[in-house]
Amino acid sequence: MTAVSAFLVPGSPLHLLRPDNPPWRPIVAGFERAARALAMSRPDAVLLYSTQWIAVLDALWQARPRLTGAHVDENWHDYGDMAFDIRVDTDLAEACVNAVKAAGISSKSVDYDQFPIDSGTIVATRLLDPDGRFPLVMAANNLYHDAATTMRMAEIATATARAQNKKVAVVGVGGLSGTVFREPIAIEEDRIAAEEDDTWNRRILRLLEKGETGRLDAEVENYAREARVDMGFKHFAWIRGAIGGRIFGARVHGYGPAHGAGAAVIEFRL
Amino acid sequence: MANGEIVAGFLAPHPPHLVYGENPPQNEPKSEGGWEPLRWAYERARKSLDELQPDVLLVHSPHWITQVGHHFLGVRHLSGKSVDPIFPNLFRYTFELEVDVELAEACCEKAAQRGLTAMMMRNPKFRVDYGTITTLHMIRPQWDIPIVGISANNSPYYLTTEEGLDEMDTLGKATREAIEETGRRAVLLASNTLCHWHFHEEPDTPEDMSREHPQSYDGYKWDMRMIELLRQGKTAEVFRLLPQFIDEAFAEVKSGAFTWMFAAMGYPELPGELHGYGTVIGTGNAVMEWNLVKAGLAGAAAAPPSAAGDRAAYAGAMR
Ligand SMILES: [Fe+2]
Repeated sequence: MTAVSAFLVPGSPLHLLRPDNPPWRPIVAGFERAARALAMSRPDAVLLYSTQWIAVLDALWQARPRLTGAHVDENWHDYGDMAFDIRVDTDLAEACVNAVKAAGISSKSVDYDQFPIDSGTIVATRLLDPDGRFPLVMAANNLYHDAATTMRMAEIATATARAQNKKVAVVGVGGLSGTVFREPIAIEEDRIAAEEDDTWNRRILRLLEKGETGRLDAEVENYAREARVDMGFKHFAWIRGAIGGRIFGARVHGYGPAHGAGAAVIEFRL
Repeated sequence: MANGEIVAGFLAPHPPHLVYGENPPQNEPKSEGGWEPLRWAYERARKSLDELQPDVLLVHSPHWITQVGHHFLGVRHLSGKSVDPIFPNLFRYTFELEVDVELAEACCEKAAQRGLTAMMMRNPKFRVDYGTITTLHMIRPQWDIPIVGISANNSPYYLTTEEGLDEMDTLGKATREAIEETGRRAVLLASNTLCHWHFHEEPDTPEDMSREHPQSYDGYKWDMRMIELLRQGKTAEVFRLLPQFIDEAFAEVKSGAFTWMFAAMGYPELPGELHGYGTVIGTGNAVMEWNLVKAGLAGAAAAPPSAAGDRAAYAGAMR
């Protein structure tokens, strides 16, 4: 068995901090549906990859048993802070470090008080698992890793969980199209900033819904480049790696803007 | 109008390794030393800063990245523990700093008047970025001078290098106006590494200097070429070459601090004083000073900076 559930979700603080803003409602409602699906899948741990946790030297894995605090986003500081209380499955995390290392990808765990937890991880965990029921295994986005390496890491992490007899959910945290509004906007009028981006996003979402793996393979790279997708859509590679590569269809629980960028809550069929 | 002025600008890069090598009480991890030539460079810069007796240090850091405009720290007192997300093994630093909010607000207002999107950061729980903290520690470990912290708008990456640096030029001019009108005696800190090609793995003992060297010979040659021009005061030539330098040496000056500082100083054709150069995990770092008091461009013998220094003259060359 691969993962018991799989989700791609946005990591913008806006949806967490202003959930009642009308253009952001579809994402917030999407998160609510995804949270129910996650809970029903009853994972032992969640394998989470956030594009906003950036690494450059190694593949980093969070190995501190409990992370608590209140984080202020570097962009959206005027919207308030985001409290977090995250539990980590340290056994699984350490096993992932070793297994990924054994596969030739230089890998390290981090276990430090006050280590900066990224906004995406906090947003995703708060909205997908509001009661903090499921421990996490968190991997960083190494800027020098390509989609293939990211897939491989997720594949190894899933196999490592299986070896520990653990059922895992997989979560990729990141945005869709990346054109943003670079000036302040009236947030109640937020929308996808570029029409071409919107077209691209919808096209990819349709392919995901229909499970068109071949066409996704052919189009994802162009999509990532032309629609300036968040970190080359590596969060999608993470999910694919954990679910065995093929896409069997998906449910789009919500689609909408994040200050011009594209965002979607997607649950993958397994 | 109060006649504040910029008394000096420093190129003041922020590898956390330098703090780690120094072993100050604020930093949790302890080292056996390392990167001494760069730390001695900062020692000379500290001495010079001490003599300048500024009211305020303004720092522009590439590690507070903002997408909507240029942001300014706007909370009087900020404190916390800063853990570097890339080098948490080296930098876990407890800090406390005072912000010159009045000057920050003036900078923000002047930037907005010049058409930039600018905003104040008012959240007291904000985590100050490790670039700002490292540069400030290295230049003034006493933390007894108020600061202004400025974010790096991602325009050079999101738009083009040239468009981004044009904005930084405007931000520099706005900063200068704000300093003049608030009557501050100010020092500018451009928190930038030069060549940014780096190793992909850290030695087991990070401070083992037998392992430290430039990651790229081409990058090293670029650094030497730029430093030599800066030492000769050939500022116009440096800015003509800057986009090419950024592309070929992956230089961190792309994030804009260096342009901001020179724009604020009026691009003086003034020989910079090289306090030292060294590599950190393969990247090229220079600590340099442009002392406008010694040059007679500020202080008692102040004279207006050369109009030929205006960046408009170079704008064409950059496109
Ligand atoms: Fe840096």
